[in-house]
Amino acid sequence: MPRPSPLGLLLVAPALALVAALFLYPLGFSLVAAFTAEGQPTLRHFEKAFELYATDIRFTIFIVLFSTVLIALISIAIAGVLTLSETPWLIATLRWLYRWPLFIPFIVAAQCMRTFLAKNGLMNNTLVAAGVLEPLQAQSFLDWRGIVITFVWKQVPFVTLMLAGAMASLDRATIEAGRNLGASRLRVLVELVLPQVSQTLLVGLVLSFVTMLSVLSVPMMVAGSQPTMLTVDMAFRINAYGDYATANALGVISYAMTAVVAWIYLRHQVRREAEA
Amino acid sequence: MDRFDARSSRPERSAEPGPTFVRRHGGSRIGLRPSGMTLVGAALLASASALAWPAYAQQTLNVATAGDQNMVDYVKDYLGPMFEKTHPGVKVNAVGTGPGDAGSQKIYEKLDAQKKGGAAKSDFDVIVIHQKAAGAMVKEGLLERYTDKIPTGALATRDTAKNALGAEVSGYVMPMFHSQTAIAYNADMVKNPPNSYPELVEWVKKNPKQFGYNGIKGGMSGVAFVAGWVAAFGGDGAKLEKGPYDPNDKAKWDKALADLKEFNKNAVITPGNAGTLDMLNRGEIAMGPVWVDMFYTWMADGKLPPNMKLKLVSPGMPGQPMYYAVPAKANEKLAQEFVALATSPEVQAEGIVKRFNWYPGIDAKNLEGKLDQAAWKKLFADISPEDLQSKGKPFPIAPYFNDILEAYERKVAN
Repeated sequence: MPRPSPLGLLLVAPALALVAALFLYPLGFSLVAAFTAEGQPTLRHFEKAFELYATDIRFTIFIVLFSTVLIALISIAIAGVLTLSETPWLIATLRWLYRWPLFIPFIVAAQCMRTFLAKNGLMNNTLVAAGVLEPLQAQSFLDWRGIVITFVWKQVPFVTLMLAGAMASLDRATIEAGRNLGASRLRVLVELVLPQVSQTLLVGLVLSFVTMLSVLSVPMMVAGSQPTMLTVDMAFRINAYGDYATANALGVISYAMTAVVAWIYLRHQVRREAEA
Repeated sequence: MDRFDARSSRPERSAEPGPTFVRRHGGSRIGLRPSGMTLVGAALLASASALAWPAYAQQTLNVATAGDQNMVDYVKDYLGPMFEKTHPGVKVNAVGTGPGDAGSQKIYEKLDAQKKGGAAKSDFDVIVIHQKAAGAMVKEGLLERYTDKIPTGALATRDTAKNALGAEVSGYVMPMFHSQTAIAYNADMVKNPPNSYPELVEWVKKNPKQFGYNGIKGGMSGVAFVAGWVAAFGGDGAKLEKGPYDPNDKAKWDKALADLKEFNKNAVITPGNAGTLDMLNRGEIAMGPVWVDMFYTWMADGKLPPNMKLKLVSPGMPGQPMYYAVPAKANEKLAQEFVALATSPEVQAEGIVKRFNWYPGIDAKNLEGKLDQAAWKKLFADISPEDLQSKGKPFPIAPYFNDILEAYERKVAN
């Protein structure tokens, strides 16, 4: 390995300074605030966080995990069609359609879903008008399902974009070989294609997981607040009580969730590099 | 602590205060645009009064306003020009300090710093602030006592003009407007709306999932409903408003909160202040607590069915005023004249009631005759001035307020 040149260090210095000032310092500050009260170390804030928000913590984990699973399934399906389908118009349409949600901010998506998923909203009204649904059967999706639907709708294109790219750069010969030997397209997807792009899929899902964990607007706007996600609780702690300590404790709990995911990812990465 | 932030951080509300204001009041703004004739008249008057009051030559009146942008626009586009017309040579300079209690806090910090620095003259001549800041400013001697020196001072007699969340502010503030929460209901679906909290409980039992409110994390209309609930069922409602604070009182709310948890099983938790109005609009719920000004604005925009009505249930629901105050060492005389104009029955009728759909800061009875019948009827159709006087409550004092929120999180939402 070549020795690091001082010029190189100089070049990365601004980036490092930014990371230190805008991420490491606030992170340290938040950790300190979460674990101290009047200068003394304490777990009081965590006791309070768990006492008041244990349900919300479970709710958050459930929403984010469930959304991640759905995102994985749907992105695999779309990317699989894009790679393996033999119907040109289907590929063209799908390729054109699937990226749109990428360009829509979370807050706009949430606002759209508010009227789309409501009991007498656009979706149910359309279904009723089409005769698919009886008006009395219509129900509101503006609860945990609304949050999951919004997250999945927003994040699927992101993961699909990465996944379809990775699939497109695979050696077509393996796919053709599988097809020639009589494997169905589904089997080719599951047994030949997916194992080769699992790394990309994992990266996409980890990034989606972290993004979803940090969104405030969607749980706030789409669903009522009982139960709700941790971001809403953090905002409430600060806005209603000026209580940064408990908000920081909730933040640390969020960090812990992302840390678990990061650990899975890193372990996978290290193993892969060891194999290579 | 920052209770009003929850309200002003409603995305639906703060997102577009300006455009809504202009669109909604497009009609009434025309009335303010002087015609050719009045322009000439005003010019004549202006030149005449310039001779009459040379003392006003080239002065600036600095007005600092906490609150959304539409409040700053109100001073800049409406009050300011009106004041300048009668006070030639005076320029009104409107400054916004941001929504919510945080905006009032900035004004407080500035005045506090000026006082500590021994400034000879205050940078602000008139300030518009929330209740919590008003209490602190009076206590620390940052304000001038002035309401007995202006002709409109006697027109505001509601207890909010004297008491701001437990702090004595009598003489130091004039309410600019009152904002009030009430139960909105669809008169087609609800023939006999409940008159009180206990009747509401019965109604919800009989009509499950037809009442919706936004909990306590989705905006202040839900918070107001919960505060009203605790005042109604938790024992001494008056003590919550006036104090003195006793940290042991929250133990007495256990039954009320357990009942609220039960009540919630048959209620819908909506996503936010606008979420409640949305669901009322789509007929998904028949009843829910709302801010009266938002309600009328949505009605005017055609975003609610025309048969929606309001009911202020007893023993009462909270609302809040914003105050005009004059800092110590301000341009006292001009400032007083400005507030006198702003709280005159004419301006309160035209500006506060017609433009903003707020309840007037001065007592409503003073507006009779100043407001055209249509506007009067609209504002007081469902809630009479007497109801407003007796059932329009202030929010609980700060420590009780926080106790109520946390008790709700602990006992109801958990």
